[in-house]
Amino acid sequence: MTTPGMAYLVDDDAALRDAIPWLLRSRGIPCRAWESAEAFLADYNDEMSGCLILDLRMSGMTGSELHERLLERGCAMPVIFLTGHGDVPLAVKALKRGAFDFIEKPFNDNELVDRVHEALQHEKNRRWQDGMKAAVMERLATLTEREREVMERILAGKLNKVIADELSIAMRTVEVHRAHIFEKMGVRSAVELAQRLSLLGPPGSR
Amino acid sequence: MTVPAVPRPAATSSGQLWWWLPRVSILLLVSGIFALFWYLQRSDREEQRATLISDMLWLEQSLRFVLDHNEDLLGRFDPQRIARRETFEAHAAPLVTSNSGVIQVLWLAPSGEKLDAYPPVADAPSVASPATGAATQRLAGSVAHAVYGPPYPVGSDWQFDVLVPVFRSGELAGIAVGVYSIRRLLADTVPWWIAERYRIAIVDQSGQRLGQRSNIAELETDNDYQMPFDPPGHGLILHATPYRSATPMAGRVIMTGLAFLAALVLFSLWTLRRHVQGRLAAESALQNEVAFRKAMEDSVQTGLRARNLDGRITYVNPAFCRMVGFSPEELIGRLPPMPYWAEEYLDETRAMHAKVLAGEAPSEGFEIKLKRRNGEIFDALIIEAPLIDSQGRHTGWMGSVVDITERKRVAELARQQEERLQASARLITMGEMASSLAHELNQPLAAISSYATGCRNLIAAGAPQSEIDGAIAKCQQQAQRAGRIIRRIYEFVRRQEPKSEPCDIGILLADLVTLLESEARRQRVRLQRDIAPDLPILQADRILLGQAILNLMKNGIDAMSQTDEAARQLTLRAALHDGQVLISVADRGCGIEPETAAQLFEPFYTTKQEGLGVGLKICRSVVEAHHGRLWFEANPAGGTIFHIALPLPAT
Repeated sequence: MTTPGMAYLVDDDAALRDAIPWLLRSRGIPCRAWESAEAFLADYNDEMSGCLILDLRMSGMTGSELHERLLERGCAMPVIFLTGHGDVPLAVKALKRGAFDFIEKPFNDNELVDRVHEALQHEKNRRWQDGMKAAVMERLATLTEREREVMERILAGKLNKVIADELSIAMRTVEVHRAHIFEKMGVRSAVELAQRLSLLGPPGSR
Repeated sequence: MTVPAVPRPAATSSGQLWWWLPRVSILLLVSGIFALFWYLQRSDREEQRATLISDMLWLEQSLRFVLDHNEDLLGRFDPQRIARRETFEAHAAPLVTSNSGVIQVLWLAPSGEKLDAYPPVADAPSVASPATGAATQRLAGSVAHAVYGPPYPVGSDWQFDVLVPVFRSGELAGIAVGVYSIRRLLADTVPWWIAERYRIAIVDQSGQRLGQRSNIAELETDNDYQMPFDPPGHGLILHATPYRSATPMAGRVIMTGLAFLAALVLFSLWTLRRHVQGRLAAESALQNEVAFRKAMEDSVQTGLRARNLDGRITYVNPAFCRMVGFSPEELIGRLPPMPYWAEEYLDETRAMHAKVLAGEAPSEGFEIKLKRRNGEIFDALIIEAPLIDSQGRHTGWMGSVVDITERKRVAELARQQEERLQASARLITMGEMASSLAHELNQPLAAISSYATGCRNLIAAGAPQSEIDGAIAKCQQQAQRAGRIIRRIYEFVRRQEPKSEPCDIGILLADLVTLLESEARRQRVRLQRDIAPDLPILQADRILLGQAILNLMKNGIDAMSQTDEAARQLTLRAALHDGQVLISVADRGCGIEPETAAQLFEPFYTTKQEGLGVGLKICRSVVEAHHGRLWFEANPAGGTIFHIALPLPAT
């Protein structure tokens, strides 16, 4: 089981496969290295978590091609590209496709390590948000159909009386649903409920 | 052949007329001549006949006169006086001797008894005269005037008698008889000129010829004439047959001559006709040939131009006219300089013209620049061949002219493209090399940087020395790797060291101008060259140096893309100065800003969108490899001037 703090390096240059992990480890970031995109793809699995460092120019499959493959396989790890002189257009393309950053060789001081750190932090946040989202979704799933209808109206800021009218139910019943919803979603107020649900994105996307 | 032979009616009818007229006229002429001859002959015969008739009438008249005269003489016999023999002789002798045809005179008594005869009967050869026939004597006595007796033969001759009664006091006193010999009569009385022309004969009723006066000439029996011979009568006929006259001899000669001439005329006409037919056939063959040649020369795309020995144009074909844009009227008869000669190349053209006229033009043809009417200059390939006429005389020169502008342009284009390709290939190689070098160098540098940063991190974290040592050793290795890469670059550059060969700068620059002409035209830039004629031959790498100067010129053209079109001018100057060849390329472009100027020769520095930024650097390297100098200054007229100074060889 790899920790989210892991860095994965793909570079066809043996010296860099030795130097970069050594540098990252000097700052406490574990790193594994592969000599080609094909080798990495062979080892890749969904459990991997951390930051990808890809050399843009490699013999065989290039860094951006590897990135594309990984995106196809649903990989959401941040990617940092290593580029040389004149590769700027390629790097820009990669950024547009969702790369985290690119760093020109040779690197300035700890720039690479700093960017990896940021990426790992970013990844960690994303992971946590993903966890939160999953929890909210889990709670939402426990709501009954009637409770969902009531919840939507609560989020719309409607009063119990109005909700009762709209759904043609007794005001008392609305109050019971409201209590159930708050309990099931683990919130104490309508404001808290709205905050929880905002993690999932705008209301329309649910 | 699918072309139908369309008869041209007018030509055919006039041709028929042309053919019929001489035949008919010849026929008419011949028949006219024959008619004339026939008419002449006829009138001649008529005249002959008229003459014959009048001659006969005259002859008859004179015969009658002789007979009448003799009658008269006989009638004057005096019976008393002639009773005596002497007197009778005196009377009769004149009659017999007067050549009037009388061969004997008799004196008969009224009773018919013969009294006397002169010459005497015994003397007379043929006097067995039956004139004394009783019937005749009675008739003479009763009619009381002269009576002629019928002819009677005596030997081979025929005779007749005339009995003239002589009266004395109303009484028949006697009968005087004259015996005529027909032969003698004819001999005596027909004059020579009649005898010459006609055979005069006296014929009796039965057609028996009693006597004639004749020559041994041929007779013209169909033109004879006869008239009754009366007196003596008794059915005697005076018959004249003309001799076939020898007179028409001249006429015959003329006629024969005419016939001969007519035959000659016919023969010559026939020959003429054959000749004309031959001519016509030849003419039509010639016309076909001419039409064929005309079609050929009209359709041919090669320009043809003939000149006589003085160089005067004698012929141009349509293709040539199309090529130069002048009409045949404007060209034929012209002497050099021709309107299609290009003034810019006048000397060369004139020299070539003289060479052609001297017969020294290269047989495989020569290339020359000519000018169209619209001023456009074009390249022509001309092949000259001597013109020989039918007598084998050399009368001029025929040149076939081919417009090879397009061919040359295509070749030039191909060459330019080739050059450009080479240039860009070079640039691509340079660019690729630079790029791959950058990548290759980046690897060890990135590794070194990583190790170094890691070391610092470890040192900052207070890590043990042993950990850091390994990284530093790896740093060294990577630094060495970088060094090896640098050495490789050096070796690569070393391999491209310039060659050193004799190079004519003037020709090189002229070639470059030609090479850039189309590009300059496209960018609307005027190319001006000011190249000294006495440039020396340098030891240089022609291709590299050419590329360097070409690069400067292209830069100059590119720099003027924003300049006003009227001012776009690129000047290429070359001159010998201070033991150096100075080449300068002056543009009127945007000029070079001071901050740019400092970086201008830095590698990979560029102000162009698509540039790699190696051009000027390479230019400088090339010039320096030739021990020269490359620098630039602002153009006083605006823009920039790049200078190249190349030293002369030490010798």
